[in-house]
Amino acid sequence: MPNDLPLKDVKICDFMWVMAGPASTRILADYGATVVRIESPTRVDTARTLQPYHGNQLGPDSSGLFANCNAGKFGISLDLGNPAARAVVHDLVRWADVLTESFSPKAMRAWGFDYESLRKVNPGVIMLSSCLMGQTGPLAKVAGFGNMAAAISGFTNLTGWPDRPPSGVFGAYTDYVAPRFTAVAILAALDHRRRTGQGQYIDQSQAECAIHFLGPAILDYTVNGRVEERSGNSDAAFAPHGVYPAAGDDNWVAIVCRDDDDWRRLCAAMENDDLARDSRYASAAGRLGHRDAIDSSIAAWSRKFDRTALQFRLQSHGVPAHQVQNSADAYADPQFAHRKHFVALDHPTLGKFTVEGPRAKLSRTPAKVRRAAPSLGQDNQHVLESILGYDETQISELVASGAIG
Amino acid sequence: MSMLSPYRVLDLTTERGLLCGQMLADLGADVIKVEPVGGSPARSIGPFYKDAPHPDRSLYWWAYNRNKRAITLDLERDAGRELLRRLVERADFLIESHNPGHLAKHNLGFADLAKINPALIYVSITPFGQDGPKASYADSDLIVMAAGGPLILAGDADRPPMRLSIPQAYLHASADAAVAALAAHHERVRSGLGQYVDVAAVQSVAMATQSNILAAALGSVEPRRMSGGVKMGPIEIPLVWPAKDGFVAMTFLFGSALGIFTAKLMHFICEQGFCDEETRDKDWIAYGEQLFSGAEPLSEFDRVKQVVRNFTRSRTKAELLELAVERGFLITPVTTVEEVVESPQFASRDYFQNVAHPELGESFRYPGPFAKFSATPIEYRRRPPTVGEHNSEIYRKELGLSEREIAEITRAGII
Repeated sequence: MPNDLPLKDVKICDFMWVMAGPASTRILADYGATVVRIESPTRVDTARTLQPYHGNQLGPDSSGLFANCNAGKFGISLDLGNPAARAVVHDLVRWADVLTESFSPKAMRAWGFDYESLRKVNPGVIMLSSCLMGQTGPLAKVAGFGNMAAAISGFTNLTGWPDRPPSGVFGAYTDYVAPRFTAVAILAALDHRRRTGQGQYIDQSQAECAIHFLGPAILDYTVNGRVEERSGNSDAAFAPHGVYPAAGDDNWVAIVCRDDDDWRRLCAAMENDDLARDSRYASAAGRLGHRDAIDSSIAAWSRKFDRTALQFRLQSHGVPAHQVQNSADAYADPQFAHRKHFVALDHPTLGKFTVEGPRAKLSRTPAKVRRAAPSLGQDNQHVLESILGYDETQISELVASGAIG
Repeated sequence: MSMLSPYRVLDLTTERGLLCGQMLADLGADVIKVEPVGGSPARSIGPFYKDAPHPDRSLYWWAYNRNKRAITLDLERDAGRELLRRLVERADFLIESHNPGHLAKHNLGFADLAKINPALIYVSITPFGQDGPKASYADSDLIVMAAGGPLILAGDADRPPMRLSIPQAYLHASADAAVAALAAHHERVRSGLGQYVDVAAVQSVAMATQSNILAAALGSVEPRRMSGGVKMGPIEIPLVWPAKDGFVAMTFLFGSALGIFTAKLMHFICEQGFCDEETRDKDWIAYGEQLFSGAEPLSEFDRVKQVVRNFTRSRTKAELLELAVERGFLITPVTTVEEVVESPQFASRDYFQNVAHPELGESFRYPGPFAKFSATPIEYRRRPPTVGEHNSEIYRKELGLSEREIAEITRAGII
């Protein structure tokens, strides 16, 4: 199949693992980059062990998280600690434009695969290291997952009810933020290299890039000295602004009034003249001051209706509203379907495997998910033979050494 | 030379898409914020410097417009649109976040502008995308989070699902848009052609479900919200744990990758006298499967969690973080904004950057470069622009308008 994708000429040697790293190279693979993902034959990628599972069964290839983060890549299993792996890594680095890794800071150095060593092999290479706290500093050694970076960069504390302990943002939040910064950094560095021939090293702290998603709260502290705290579903400027019950068990509708017009439309949708006429509620300031009373009125009304019917009714009045969707709702959602958000790929052992499609639509050269994520070592032969040009003897020696497995 | 210094970006975004242009500006692009006369609606979003609303003192504006220049231009008027077209002739990217069809109605859609500049990359950021059944839905951060999947996963089980208190949806979309713009640019270097990029925030926020948006499609169990953790089927998994003086995030999970860490932690907890050896020596790799199969009763898991809680509660956040550094435990403190800004880690990396605001006679600490580039470090060249700050510079020097012409269009309210 001809590759006419935007990044068809970009070659990435990808040592990243778990979520934040692989999610970034997944984006680049969708845009056409050739990504060779290196996995350890012995130390399993944590992402392979995490939910959701294909068929609700844990298996080596059944993690939807792994499948989603690694679709479109080639996979090889290479034991980086094995001396025979060294030459393979060097050959991959010679082949690559970009080298990415997301181990804890000391790992690549311990193997001799730090930037200073690898630039001798390929002076133009762009190497990006991504880890929780960055390559330097007293906490550089803190390894782990995005839920931990979310806590130490302020997200966890800012999700919850004011009268209760932090509920916490869902999962490994910085792992959802960092990949875009990673991909942008790589693409900008590639453009710079195209113009100047200069490669470079990029030290990405997942916490540091994610903090930009808290920018206004950070400035509220550095400028005004105010420490923002979690505020449930309340908004500083909008009221009502909340998640209200709908008929049935654990069914919810989010409703927001951005301005006085939205409020009048909401009252009309509720057919509630008393609310509409109440002068205390005519302005945002008034509604913010009577937030709880308004929320109770809305909840008493909303709980009588089906959530989808509420969404249609409110949106037809022009009120920002949406049912609160779980994955089943999203899978059945006509807008997600229209955007082709769910893409079913052929998987070598599991039949069809659905992953998320590209999130941005390019009109002339749209991104494409070209294949399912690789099984462990699935592409050893292809990568060694076709990409690195090894002959059968070299390959069997590597296998015999235990470096490839 | 910085990475994107040869390129010019026209940033027509409303309050929705500001981060996209800022990412490109941080990387060195010449980003010109094009605002309505009087300033962008984003300038009315708080908090404000000293809590006094003022278009040049919105901290929301400050957070996402660094390194940009700014002009005002009334696109509702023919003369304003004509000036924009002249800017488009020399632009490499245009970013906008109006409701679908809004700019096309003003003859400023992609098809219109591609005729002037076929190499233009035109990026649109909207809540639901340019078309489809929900394209014209009324929106806000909370609405997009509800539709896109993250909302239902967070919150306390006995209360409604909940968002992060700082709006996030359009930041996810803006960051995706920046990636897409540069991918399109990479292709343009070969083909000489621009294209249209359509980003839907509802898809971008699905990223914040940790791939659980796929649960139904894969036939997997739906995670359920739970305070400080998540429920998978009947199993309650805490992710936030109590410390002596607050809370910590701790990865206490199982399986072939994570069970190793849990085993290491349980050895320490046992050493410290919080549990017996039998509890310590459970099969932490197989433990998750034992819970799902029922081989390990949930009541026993509850007891184990109590043991772990007794341990975490006996230590301060700082003590637990020290253990994470020394012993590789998967623990970090749940941190306030103040603690983030004052953190020795960020200080040691010179992360927070002083940005001078001469108009206020003060400097403020901003979140620093999103990554450290060895050859082309990100520089904070300009503080966020005041309303129309660069009108003269751009209209006079770059478009070649005379002082009299500028005075005329200013009087006419075009700029």
